[in-house]
Amino acid sequence: MAEGWPKQRRVLGSKVRRLDGPAKATGLAKYTYDINRPGMLHGVIVRCPYAHARIKAIDSTATRKTPGFRALTILGVSRDGVVVAVEGNQLTYTPAAKKKAGQEERITVTVNERVTLIKNHKVVSLKEVQVGDRLTIEVEQDAIGRELFFAGEEIAAVAADTEEHARDAARALRVEYEVLEHVVAEDEVLKDRNKRTVPAPSNYSEGKAATQGDVEAGFREADAVVEATYGVPVISHQCLESHGLVAEWTADGGLTVWASTQATVATAQQLAARFGLPAARVNCITHYMGGGFGSKFGPDVQGFAAAELARRAGAPVKIMLDREAEITTAGNRPSAIGTVKIGGKKDGTITAYAVDCYGTPGYTGGATVNLNLLPYVYTDAIPNWKRSHAVVYINAGAARAMRAPGHPQNCVLTEFAIDDLAARLGIDPLIIRRKNLPPNNPKAPPNSWAARRNTIYNEQIDIAVQLSRWKEKWHPPGQGNQVGSRRYGIGMALHTWGGFAAGQPNECFVIIGRDGSIVARTSTQDLGTGQRTVTAVVVAEILGQDPASIITEIGESRFGQSSGSGGSTTCPSQAPAALRAAQAARDELFQKVAPKVQADPADLTIAPGKVVDRKTGREWTWKEFCARLGMEEARGRGVWSLGIANEPGNEDISSGQVGGVQVAEVSVDVETGLVRVHHIVAVQDCGLVVNRLTCESQVAGGVIMGLNYALFEECIRDRVTGRQLNADMEFYKLGGLGDMPKITVHLQDMPERGVIGIGEPPVISTAAAVGNAVFNALGVRVPFLPLTPWRVLQTLAQGGKIR
Amino acid sequence: MAFGPGPVRIELVVNGRKLTTQVEPRVTLLDALRNYLDVTGCKRVCDRGTCGACTVMVDGRAVYSCTMLALEARGKDIRTAESLVVGGRLDPVPEAFVRCDAQQCGFCTPGFVVALRAALDKNPQATEAELEAAVAGNICRCGTYEQMRQAIAQLVRKGG
Repeated sequence: MAEGWPKQRRVLGSKVRRLDGPAKATGLAKYTYDINRPGMLHGVIVRCPYAHARIKAIDSTATRKTPGFRALTILGVSRDGVVVAVEGNQLTYTPAAKKKAGQEERITVTVNERVTLIKNHKVVSLKEVQVGDRLTIEVEQDAIGRELFFAGEEIAAVAADTEEHARDAARALRVEYEVLEHVVAEDEVLKDRNKRTVPAPSNYSEGKAATQGDVEAGFREADAVVEATYGVPVISHQCLESHGLVAEWTADGGLTVWASTQATVATAQQLAARFGLPAARVNCITHYMGGGFGSKFGPDVQGFAAAELARRAGAPVKIMLDREAEITTAGNRPSAIGTVKIGGKKDGTITAYAVDCYGTPGYTGGATVNLNLLPYVYTDAIPNWKRSHAVVYINAGAARAMRAPGHPQNCVLTEFAIDDLAARLGIDPLIIRRKNLPPNNPKAPPNSWAARRNTIYNEQIDIAVQLSRWKEKWHPPGQGNQVGSRRYGIGMALHTWGGFAAGQPNECFVIIGRDGSIVARTSTQDLGTGQRTVTAVVVAEILGQDPASIITEIGESRFGQSSGSGGSTTCPSQAPAALRAAQAARDELFQKVAPKVQADPADLTIAPGKVVDRKTGREWTWKEFCARLGMEEARGRGVWSLGIANEPGNEDISSGQVGGVQVAEVSVDVETGLVRVHHIVAVQDCGLVVNRLTCESQVAGGVIMGLNYALFEECIRDRVTGRQLNADMEFYKLGGLGDMPKITVHLQDMPERGVIGIGEPPVISTAAAVGNAVFNALGVRVPFLPLTPWRVLQTLAQGGKIR
Repeated sequence: MAFGPGPVRIELVVNGRKLTTQVEPRVTLLDALRNYLDVTGCKRVCDRGTCGACTVMVDGRAVYSCTMLALEARGKDIRTAESLVVGGRLDPVPEAFVRCDAQQCGFCTPGFVVALRAALDKNPQATEAELEAAVAGNICRCGTYEQMRQAIAQLVRKGG
C-alpha cells in the first residue's frame, strides 16, 4: 500500500498565510487583465442590442477607416477550405467540412476588402493564394440572416492600437437588424407555452419527472400538509476580473494566451483544436485569477476572437469583457420556481413531499435544479416523494455552472417547506430535520459518507445549535423578540456536496535542486481558493520545510495535466498529487545521495530542516544533504484522479461527500421591510484540512455569497426592450462590509477521510437559512429570493399576519 | 463620426515617479495608469464608479480613478497599492490583510487596501467603525469581509 498522509503533521492542517498574499494585496500580482505585452492591441466585441433579432445588413467599410484600426473578425461565419481555382477576383474552394460523404461542394467567392483570407495564420491577398492552399475564408456578408437570441450576443470583434480606438471602431460597424419577438420573463412563457423565440422547438420544454412510493397515501397519513410556491431568481456570477484573455502568436507559429480561466489545460486544448495547432504549441497562463465561480472554463467567444484578431493583426490582442457583457453574456445562474407540497406527522416524520418546478437557463441549456437530489438531503429518508421539472427558455445569455450548480435552488425548495410544515405542526423545525436525516448505511466502508452521514449531520446540528444558542433563541414563528419595529428570528438549513478528486488525471512535479531549493510545479490554477499555498503546504510537510520556502510554479498548461477547477475537485486532486510528487522526489534524493554518504536509503528520513540516518543517528542539514546531489537534481512526479482515489487503501488520501449545517439570525424591520442578518453559524465537515486559514476563508466566503443570494442578487430584465436593467454593479446589488453579519465557522475535521474539496458546499444553505430566519421573525413566509424590502413589505401587505 | 481631439502629452507623478505618456483627453486616470503606464494595481471592474477596485490616492485622498480624467490628475501626487510595499516590506494595511487572509482572488484587495491607507493617513486614531465606513464604497465578491474585519481590528489596535 502506498504511503499516505503523515500521521504526525507539522504544517498540514495549520494556518499558513497565502504565499501570494503580499503580491496580491499590493497590486504587484499580474492578472490576465493586467497583462500589457509589447505592441499589444485592444479588442472590443460588437454585440446585438436586441433580445431577439436577425442581421439584415452588415458593413465594415467605416470601421476599417477608423484611426488605429488593425483587425476585424465577423464571428461565426469563417470557413476552412482548400483552393481549387483562382480567376480574376474569384476564389473557388472546397470547404473542409463537407456537406455529405462523397458529395463535393465548391464555393466561389468574389474577393474584395470585406472578404478575409488567412493562410498559415496570416492574412493574405488573393495574389498570394495558389491552388491547393488551405485557407480560412471569412465573408462578411455571410453574417446576413444570422439569428441572434439575446441582447449582448456577439457579432464581430475589432482590434485597434488603443482601447479608445477599438471602441470607436466597434461603434463604426454598421449592422442593421430585423427585430424579432422576444421573451425575457419566465411567466410569459408559462402563459403561452407555444412561443418560439429561442433555438429550441419551443420556449417551454417538459423536463424530467420521478416518483418514489405512494405520495397521495403519504399526504393522507400526514397530520398536516402545507403547499406553497417558492423561488430563486436568475443571478450572475459577477467575477470581479471579467472574462477575457490576451493572445500572442509566437514567431515559431505557437500561441501563448494569458487567460482568466478555471481550466488552463482545457483552454489551451480548445484553442489548439480551433486553430489546428498541436496542443503542446499552445500555452495558457493563469498565474493569478480574479474569480470564476463556475463561469470560466475555456477560451469562450472572446478568447477565440482575441486569438483570431491577434493572428490577423500580427500583434498580441487583449479582450476583457466590460461589466455589462460580463453580466449579460458570461454566465447566469438559472432560476428555480417550485410549487412544493409537504406532509408530516406530529413527531416530525415527513410522510410525503412533492415538487413541481421550472426555471430558466437563458436561451439554451438544460435543467435548472438538481432534480435527482430533491427533496435534497432528506431524499433517502422520505418514503414518498414526487418531483418534476420544466425548462423555460428566455432571450437571455446561457446559464453556466455556478458554485454548487442546482444545490442552492434545491436547498430553498426543500428547507423552506420544512419550516412551513413545522409551523403548521406547531413544532421546532429542528425536530423535523433530525427526524428525517438520511440513515447511515452499515454496509458502506466505515469512513465513507454513506456509513456516517446520519451521525455527521446530527453532530453538526448539535454544534450549530450550541454555537447559535438555538434553544434560547428559537421561538414559534412571529412570536420572538421585538425592538421597536424590528422582529427577530432564527433559521436553519442543511446541505450536501461531493468534493471528490476529478475524473481526469492531475499531475504535480517536485524538483529538489542541489542548492536545496524546491520547486513545486503544476498546471492547475488558483482561483483565489488558495491552491498555490495548498501545494506548498503539502510539499513542505513531506520535505521538512517552511511552506514559504517552496517555489510554486502554477497556472501554465505546459506544466502538465490538470482538470478544470469545478465541483470542488481541485484540492482533493492536487493535494494528493503534490503528496505523491514530494514523496517521489524525496525517494529519488535518498537514492542518489545515500551512496555518497555511505547510508542505506531505507534508513534515511526527513525531520524539519534536515535529513536523518535512523540507523547511525547521523544528521545533515537540508542544504548539506542536497549539496551531495552534485550535478544532479531529484525529481518526483505525482498524479491523482478519482480512479486512483477509489483504489483500495487510498480512501484516507482523498474522498468526498460532505454535509453542512448553517444557522442564521436576523431581524426584520416591519415598517421599512429591511432584513439585517446578525450572525451566521456555518458547520462544515471537511475531511483532512490542508491549510486551516484558507479553508476557513472558503467557508466564510461561501456564506457571504449565500447571504448575497438571500438579500440582494437578481438579474432584472425589461419585458419591453428585452434588456437587463441592472447589468452593472450599481443596481445589481452585492453586499458591502457594512451589510455583513458576524460569521462563525466551525470546521469538523475528519482526517481519516482524506482531503475533500469544500469550495462549493458552504454557499448552498445560507440563503435558505436566512429565508427561514425571516419566516421565524415574521411568522409569514417571504417565498421568493432575494428578500428585498419590497418583497418583505409586499408579503406583509398581502395578508401576512404579524403580531 | 467624430473622434475627438487627438492624444496629448501628459506627465503624472505616480508613486513618487514622474511618468509621461500620450493620452486622448477622454482617457480616465484608471486607463492611463493601466493601459498607458503599466501601473495595474488599480483594477477595472464595474466601469462606473460603484465597486472601488480602482481606488487610488490623489494628494492623499481616496479617489475612484475611473471617475477622474487623466488630464485632471496632472501635477497631483498619485499613489497606488504598489506604493504600499518598499523593499519587500509591507505597509501595515496590506500586512494585516495578509496575516488575516482578508483576500481570496485578490482582485478587489488593492482597492480596499488603498482606501484604508488613505483613511488611516487622514486619522491614525480612526475607530473600527470609521475604517469600515472608509471602505463602504468597495465590493468584494469572494466574501472576505469577515477576515477584513479582523484585519481592521488589528490595525486599530496597532494604531494603523
